[in-house]
Amino acid sequence: MEKEEIVNKLTPVFRKVFADNSLVITEELSALDVENWDSLSHMLLIAEVENEFAIKFKLKDLNKMANVGDMIAIISSKL
Amino acid sequence: MRSNNTFHSEVLQPFFFASEKYADSNAFCINEVFYSYKQLGETISAIRASVKELRADNINVGLVANDDLETYAAIIALWLEGKCYVPVNPETPAERNRNVLTQAAASVVIDSSDEVLFPELNVIRSKELVFTKLDLEPVQVEDDALAYIFFTSGTTGVPKGVPISRTNLAGFIKAFFELGITMDPSDKCLQMFELTFDLSVMSYLAPLLRGACVYTIPKNKIKFNYIADLLEQHNLTVALMVPSIIHYLRPYFDEIDCASMKFSLFCGEALPLDVTSEWAACVPNAKIMNVYGPTEDTIFCTHYTYSRAGENKASNGLMSIGKAMNGTFTIIINDKKEMVNAGEKGELCLGGVQLTPGYWMNDEKNKEAFFYTNYKGESTRFYKTGDLCLADEEGDIMYLGRIDSQIKVQGFRVELSEIEFFAKEFLNKVNAVAIAFTNKLHNTEIGMVIESTDFDTKPLLEYMKTKMPGYMIPTQMRFINSFPLNTNGKIDRKVLKEKF
Repeated sequence: MEKEEIVNKLTPVFRKVFADNSLVITEELSALDVENWDSLSHMLLIAEVENEFAIKFKLKDLNKMANVGDMIAIISSKL
Repeated sequence: MRSNNTFHSEVLQPFFFASEKYADSNAFCINEVFYSYKQLGETISAIRASVKELRADNINVGLVANDDLETYAAIIALWLEGKCYVPVNPETPAERNRNVLTQAAASVVIDSSDEVLFPELNVIRSKELVFTKLDLEPVQVEDDALAYIFFTSGTTGVPKGVPISRTNLAGFIKAFFELGITMDPSDKCLQMFELTFDLSVMSYLAPLLRGACVYTIPKNKIKFNYIADLLEQHNLTVALMVPSIIHYLRPYFDEIDCASMKFSLFCGEALPLDVTSEWAACVPNAKIMNVYGPTEDTIFCTHYTYSRAGENKASNGLMSIGKAMNGTFTIIINDKKEMVNAGEKGELCLGGVQLTPGYWMNDEKNKEAFFYTNYKGESTRFYKTGDLCLADEEGDIMYLGRIDSQIKVQGFRVELSEIEFFAKEFLNKVNAVAIAFTNKLHNTEIGMVIESTDFDTKPLLEYMKTKMPGYMIPTQMRFINSFPLNTNGKIDRKVLKEKF
């Protein structure tokens, strides 16, 4: 799957989890940029992303994930 | 309560010895940077020089709770000068923080931020101070002086101050080490709590009294991820956590193998036995303890050790909170304030060395929450916790629930009525109820049901965010035409809970 395609699939997931219909996904986007991005919403986000792509993250993957760019890289490595 | 200066012997002297003897050992690991006891001692000394210049009546000093060496050093610097710290979290709405500082009469604030948060106050900018001379010898201060004041959620929208004296804190430290918890310079200890939460005090202070290293969590990181990373990368040996952390980590337990862990403590919320048993496999060499206590009784005051081989006591799947630590007394009373027998339910009350002198400037609350009763032949002061408990024949206490609407979110005490207070203030005559519910991850979330037809709740949420810290903001909103009532004519919260 191309990066762009992953971003397209991630966008509605992010918008739903953070209840923000104008949220724009960039590779640099991280918990610092989104107001409601805390432990709770992070877990919900992870669960939603796993569902969307039918993948399972490892704890190690989560620990490495510092921004959306990392998330995209990990997703594409699992597809 | 005057004794022979236990704060000096239990806290200040041990820190002084540790900082001299282990000068080159690591005291802190903050955001992947290590700081030695020597660096800590120098930072304390620099801040102390500014604290010395304060007027004698500047007793309670505000502290902007950042995640850096200066913030921790400021606490010790204040204690060495006999002063008391009042932490405020920079992420909490400024209005609430100002209320806290005003209540505590703190006109001086120590701030390590790049841009000062309270320019109207007298600010000590701790990052700009220059170290000149090591100065860690404590001055003699009476033990009934305060060590800190922490503010918790109040029922009417005004934070409630809990002052803890030097006697209280010294009593805790003594009892803590008497639990058999050992630390030395080889130990690596987790400090996962915001400094406005009193579990932070054990997490940074106990290691510093034994020359061990404190590992903090950077504010911009997802907590449970960072903790998992610390467990693996740094082989932590001591960790006090809230149970919600292991709920988050539970799907990944098979990836966690932390053989280095010696003491794994849980506090702040009820601890389910099943997840604890699974966690035990992740920390195969650790002694796992469930500890319990409200801020009013200094950090925690009862303990129960998880048994790997044998039976564990639990009620409704929640592990026992065990027995009182040394110096603490526990009783369980009925609504006539009479002690109940073993096996009978009642309200847990706490007394002893760790008990706060009383809420800060709040006679009304003090009359409600504290009382004297005859305990082992002596008139003894007790605090009513609001926790419904029973003790078994062996004296182990089981936690059964709350008797009021206070809940815990990630260990933070939250009065649902405070959330409702601010919601109603905004909604103007529209009724709203805050509900605690358990989500898919077994963690507590706050939902809000509004007695109205649908509307955009964003302005309401924005308003609440200017009044309360983030953990108190409802995460789910529901609407209902009219609230269901129970047989007593009160809003039936149980029915509303089913909406989440």
